Amino acid sequence: MLKAFALAATLAVSALPALAETIRVGMSGGYFPFTFVKQDQLQGFEVDLMTEVAARTGDEVSFVTMSFSGLIGALSAGRIDTIANQITITPERSAKFAFSQPYVYDGAQIVVKKGNAAGISGPGDLRGKTVAVNLGSNFEQLLRALPYADEIDIRTYESNIEQDTALGRVDAFVMDRVSSAQVIAKSPLPLELAGKPFSEIRNALPFRDDAAGHALRDRVDAALTAMKQDGSLAEISRKWLDADVTEGN
Amino acid sequence: MQGLDVGYMLGLVPVILGYVPLTLGMALAGMVAALVLACLLAVERVARVPVLDPLVVLFISFFRGTPLLVQLFLFYYGLPQVMPVLVNIDGVSAAILGLTLHFSAYMAESIRAAILGVERSQWEAARAVGMSPMTMMLRIILPQAARIAAPTLVNYFIDMIKSTSLAFTLGVTEMMGAAQKEAAGSFLYFEAFLVVAVIYWAIVETLSWAQRRLETRLGRAYAR
Repeated sequence: MLKAFALAATLAVSALPALAETIRVGMSGGYFPFTFVKQDQLQGFEVDLMTEVAARTGDEVSFVTMSFSGLIGALSAGRIDTIANQITITPERSAKFAFSQPYVYDGAQIVVKKGNAAGISGPGDLRGKTVAVNLGSNFEQLLRALPYADEIDIRTYESNIEQDTALGRVDAFVMDRVSSAQVIAKSPLPLELAGKPFSEIRNALPFRDDAAGHALRDRVDAALTAMKQDGSLAEISRKWLDADVTEGN
Repeated sequence: MQGLDVGYMLGLVPVILGYVPLTLGMALAGMVAALVLACLLAVERVARVPVLDPLVVLFISFFRGTPLLVQLFLFYYGLPQVMPVLVNIDGVSAAILGLTLHFSAYMAESIRAAILGVERSQWEAARAVGMSPMTMMLRIILPQAARIAAPTLVNYFIDMIKSTSLAFTLGVTEMMGAAQKEAAGSFLYFEAFLVVAVIYWAIVETLSWAQRRLETRLGRAYAR
């Protein structure tokens, strides 16, 4: 009897619309044009995306900025609920986290100091070169997985890989294509793209792999689906990236 | 070499200044707590309380022997794995806790030296008039030790203010974190880091001025 009552109560509660929660969104705040700060204003693609998602799920959203390499740890530890920082789906991450559907389709891109692009058309040309990547990013894994990885001097950074490449301290950096193109277009740094993007990547939002994490993931996923259908996701993409990169092939 | 974007720097000054209260607040809270803890540790080191003494020695050894950044990561990212309640500690508290423990270890040694630097005759005189050890410490020895320790303690405070820049690794946006994020958005690295450097410098210069005033004040009884 008591059991039945408890069951009924649980069902009743779960049938009610979920109470508004605060989704704590982690981001580095230093990844132009996805999440960056100008005059103390946090902005970018990811900020607009999560604000719109929260508006649709009826939740509050709070942005937590910390260094990129700390984000995954903070998500596991429960300090944040998801990460909006162009997180690429990788097998290792999928084993540990529950991902939303992808919301950006992109490729890895080699960027060099202006004038040094000659002879670099793909990752094979990085042999014998020093290459900067963000610590803990999938680009680091991507480089280390190359069969000739031991011939590349891979340097991991917390931030400022663009500056060290422009200063000539490293030969190149590897990042996703869309933000590389935006950095080159909008920053004063003397950089250029080298070769075509390699290895398709898909960015999504990771959640903790437990009941609460799955519930939140499903709510956010529904919002993403709706945003893809009514074109608002494509609009956010065009606003920050001058292109729609939210549809897969 | 491009020219310096002075307009951008001027616009950045009020932004970075907005983070001064957080930086100074963390340093002040850390300093007050570290001072209290360091006094207790130093008095213990002088008195050599049985059982407690080896623990204090171990504490000082660990917190002097490991980098502050390592300690911060240990508290903030490491410990919650073993003790899940610690997830509730926010970055600011963790930073203050780390600064307190780290600097109290250094300050304890400096205060211990200052206590031992107070003339023997002062100890003997206090004991001769029948003061309890506690009263003697509080009324006679520590006030005189404070004068000796003041310059090094102010040095530690300056170091602590600058060490708050590590809090950005715990997700606390303080002065350095704010400058770092602005630089990542504008790509004007030199300008952003120069602004934050000048502001740190100005804070420390103000403090050095206060230090000179404090030393004059503490040294009044000794003025010739």
